[in-house]
This record gives sequence, structure tokens and C-alpha cells, in this order.
Amino acid sequence: MSGTESVAFDTPQREQRADTLAMWVFIGSEAMLFGGIFLVFLIAHIDSGTAFAAASKHLSLPLGTFNTAVLITSSFTMALAHTLALQRRWRATVWALAATSLLGICFLVVKGIEYSREISEGLAPVLGLQFRYAGPDPKHAEFFFGLYFAMTSLHALHLIGGIIVIAGMIALWRTANPDNRLHRVEAIGLYWHFVDVVWVFMFPVLYLINR
Amino acid sequence: MSELRKLTFGYLGLLALLALTVASSFFDLGGFNVALNLAIAAVKAALIAMMFMHLTGTLPRLVVAAAGLWLVLLFGLTLIGR
Repeated sequence: MSGTESVAFDTPQREQRADTLAMWVFIGSEAMLFGGIFLVFLIAHIDSGTAFAAASKHLSLPLGTFNTAVLITSSFTMALAHTLALQRRWRATVWALAATSLLGICFLVVKGIEYSREISEGLAPVLGLQFRYAGPDPKHAEFFFGLYFAMTSLHALHLIGGIIVIAGMIALWRTANPDNRLHRVEAIGLYWHFVDVVWVFMFPVLYLINR
Repeated sequence: MSELRKLTFGYLGLLALLALTVASSFFDLGGFNVALNLAIAAVKAALIAMMFMHLTGTLPRLVVAAAGLWLVLLFGLTLIGR
């Protein structure tokens, strides 16, 4: 049992290659989106480095480090899912995918705990909340926290999207033939690893400014 | 099972680099903290791309190189213009 998802391709192999290339192009365009916001952060950091370093100390390093480890682990289980799918061990593949999405949810829960902590400390200049900051240069610290919330929530939205796609894939698992399963796992895997790479850069940039 | 071993080594390498980058933040290296953090992040990204994303084949690499070129232009021209 095999076949392509689209009538545009003669063989599953061709569809697979086209799929992979399209995913990389998509990832390239996503890199432009995140690159733009990283550039804004870089310029602001150059202009008001001391204020940013002081503000960064208010973020939770233990929770940020834990979350980075969680996301790296989820990338590992996603890579495992792809390896298992290549070996056509479907049941194990589904387990690895489920583990990946659960780790993604774990990341979001920890992020939510961080957000609620920052909101209760008055460090969230978003959604019309009052910004209270006792440290030096509160104007630029406010900009730091604005960027922090913009960058991490943009990343969290991408993670939520990935979790929804994995859930949909598992829901449609029985109706998909082996070739469809394999290339779906590969496509969501590429996306998931990219979201992990974005966090790999976000973590030191936001949490580790001259600690 | 050599594939599984490869993935596990990649995973442990990523965790070790995470520990290294967090540990380095407790030492004041002057201006080198940021550079070291970014270098470690780049190594981690390369590990993920090679070990987990199987970045092989000419076309995907071309796409990544093109995205990299545009990012270099974006950052480079902005910083030169300051």
C-alpha cells in the first residue's frame, strides 16, 4: 500500500523531495520573520545595554534553562519519531510524536508560570497592564520587557501551531498510508526543529545578558 | 541501531552545550559573554540541523544559504548604517 497525497506527483519519492524542499523554503521565510525581531532587539541592546542587562536579571534563569532542556528533549523525540517512521515502526512513531507534543505542552505551561510571575511583579508592559519597575532606567527596561513578551509569545504561537498539527496528524493516522505518514512526520519534524533552533538563540539573548 | 546512537549523542551534546552556556554566564568575561553565548547557540543550531533535520542535498542547503545571505544583508547593512 503506497501512494502520493497529491495527484501532481508520479511517485512518493518525488513528492517527498518536493515536500522537503518546500519545508526548507518555508523555514527560510520564517527565519526572515524571526531575524527581523532579533535585529530590533540587537539594536536596542546596543543602545541601552546596561538597562537591558539589569532588566534581564528579573527573568527566571532556572525556569528558562529548564524550558530549553525540555525543548531540546522534544526535538530529540521528534527526531526519534522520524527514525522510527523510516523503519516503519508505526506504533512507536505515534508514541514518539505524542511525547514530542506533551513536551511542547510542558514548555508552554512553564512559560505560562513565568508570564504569571512577571505579570504579578508588574514587569509586563503588555495588554494595558501597569509596568512597575524599581531598577535603573525604567523606560528602557520597559522596552526590554515589551520585546521579551513579543519574542517569546511569537515563539509560543509557533509551538502551539506545531502541537495542533501533531495532534491532527495523530487523529488522521489511521486513514494515512505509509508514504503519507512518513512524509508528514518528516515535514512536521523540520518545522519543530526550526522552532527549537529559534529558542536556542532566544534563550541566551534574553536570559543571559551579562549575568 | 547506529542511527539511534547518533541521535542520542547529538542530544547529549546539545544538553552539554546548554550547561556550558548557562555556566559561562556566571563568569564575567568582559565583552566575550555575548560572543560566547552566540557561538554556542550557532553550534547548537548546526548540531540540530545536521543530526535532527538531516540537512543534506543540494537544494535544501541552497535554501539555507540563501536565507543566511539575506539575514547577513539585513544585519550587516543595518549595523553599517549606524
